[in-house]
Amino acid sequence: MNLLVFTKRVPATQEEELRIIDDGNKIDLSKVPFKVNDWDNYSVEEAVRIVEKIGGTVTAVSIGDSESDEVLRRAIAMGAKDGFLIETENILHDPNARSTLIYNFLKKEGLPFDAIFTGVQSEDDQFAAVGGILAAKLRIPFVSMVIGIDNIENGYAIVRRELEGGLQERIKISLPCVMSIQTGINEPRYVSIMGIRKASKVERKVLKASDYQENVENMIELTRWVYPLKKEGATLLSPDLENACKELLNILKEKGVYQ
Amino acid sequence: MDIRSRVLACMQCGKCTGSCPEAGITPFNIRMLMRKRQFKNIIDESLPWYCTSCGACTIRCPRDVKPSEVIIEMRSALVEDGEIPPALQKALENTFVQKNPWGRSRAKRGAWFEKPDIGVPHVSETSSKRLLFTCCIQAYDPRCMVIPQNISKILKMCGIEFGVLGEEEACCGNEIRRIGEVGLFEELQEENKATFEEYGIKEIIALSPHCMNALKKEYGDLGIKIYHYTELIAPIMRDGTILPKTNYNKKIIYHDPCFLGKQNGIFDEPRDILNSIDGLELLEFSRSRENSMCCEGGGGRMFFEVETSYRRNAEVRVSEAKEIGAEIIATSCPFCVMTLEEPAIEKGLEVKEISEILMEVL
Repeated sequence: MNLLVFTKRVPATQEEELRIIDDGNKIDLSKVPFKVNDWDNYSVEEAVRIVEKIGGTVTAVSIGDSESDEVLRRAIAMGAKDGFLIETENILHDPNARSTLIYNFLKKEGLPFDAIFTGVQSEDDQFAAVGGILAAKLRIPFVSMVIGIDNIENGYAIVRRELEGGLQERIKISLPCVMSIQTGINEPRYVSIMGIRKASKVERKVLKASDYQENVENMIELTRWVYPLKKEGATLLSPDLENACKELLNILKEKGVYQ
Repeated sequence: MDIRSRVLACMQCGKCTGSCPEAGITPFNIRMLMRKRQFKNIIDESLPWYCTSCGACTIRCPRDVKPSEVIIEMRSALVEDGEIPPALQKALENTFVQKNPWGRSRAKRGAWFEKPDIGVPHVSETSSKRLLFTCCIQAYDPRCMVIPQNISKILKMCGIEFGVLGEEEACCGNEIRRIGEVGLFEELQEENKATFEEYGIKEIIALSPHCMNALKKEYGDLGIKIYHYTELIAPIMRDGTILPKTNYNKKIIYHDPCFLGKQNGIFDEPRDILNSIDGLELLEFSRSRENSMCCEGGGGRMFFEVETSYRRNAEVRVSEAKEIGAEIIATSCPFCVMTLEEPAIEKGLEVKEISEILMEVL
């Protein structure tokens, strides 16, 4: 089983107060740390678990600047055999451009694969579209929101998709295919710094994105970054604890929560 | 002597288990673990995570086996295999990304001194190059943030010049090393050392005993004088440079933090500070100083819950304080504050870090 996993280095924005700069054209990421995209972490773990169980190889691929090597080393430390960095200084927001670039890369390099794993989405752009577009370009089946892979061999996979309302849908999909992996599918293993250091010794091929540019076009254009509109409706309580408690009690009484 | 030879030197005297805060109340039996290690028997993977790294076993061991260090080695092997409790995994990943186990924004590490009445300079702007090393929990946790704020005000009252690093400070790594993540500890150490060097730091005032321990004993020879803040304040209060303005008519019992007391021998300074306050009646636990009972906040236990449910040491500690007649439990470690406070509130007692008491009387 040869599995290709796409992994992305993204800014860790959860705790940050992000600032829009350059008249709406840019986010100030100068002080924001970076990490592996959460969904991709689960994808790598799932792929590694599959080959640990039934044999085969996992190859990690990342698109980004030279710093993205960090997520490749991480994937190798988790159990991937090798890694490819498609290096570009341009940030590809458009999922079509991103998918076309991947498509060109796969065709040109002729990497063999039984399945391609992507995360459902990336934490930064959140289009959740790369996997689907890529599958369409490759003319192979696509399954999204995969929350369980029950079986994968002999030309097909039985997977479960996460649906709304606590339901799961079990489907059979023929291989090769593209799967977008949902968080929670497994518990990703911890990757130690020593493990990442050791992974540095495994070769990662660095390729230029400029070699895979055929038909790489943006179909959507980022016009500007904006903050969400401030809405009214929040009630700020007094900063003083005693008054805040009194005000809160009054609100709870008013709403009928507390008698 | 390497760890393997040290483990083989164990004669199973049981002094380690006799002093272990987890023995008898959890499945953790340090003597049995040493025995299993000698015979290379399989060790249940959940067991090493019970250790609180209080160090009592290592201090009492007559054969210098250093059982608490053997535990770190066992944990390291589990870390390398990726077999660690999920909550600890999160703490390590947070530290890798944001340089603190809670995963709070590194850019906000200096938020505690941004209040108008604090006003602390960057250490590069000081002539003394005396650094106040904040510690992660005190930089971010709303309960503990008051500690660096208080100490800053007290140092100013004493006319002691100091500065901070703000977001340039990274976690000291004391707990990270004890969780067994040696590589991450080395990265944090290298980063902090490079920052100390860049600004020509000459002295470090550590606010947390855990940070002091790591900086003083595990960073190698930095050529920097490192001490806990109580070591700085105690002589100043003894010689009368600053004097309490009011009495403090309370019965206070002092809880020795493991990393300040038994592991670094600082027993008298916190007591001297408290004894310099008129009206304050200082009480002692039956287990105090070298024998102080661990609150179970160290060794990574701050970040996760073990599987077994049992009566926590913090609760035992608070019950004793109540029986002895204390109104307040004083301590000088943010982890101890956090672990003791909840059971103390339940029993109608208060927990105060020494600086909080000082701020009420100075």
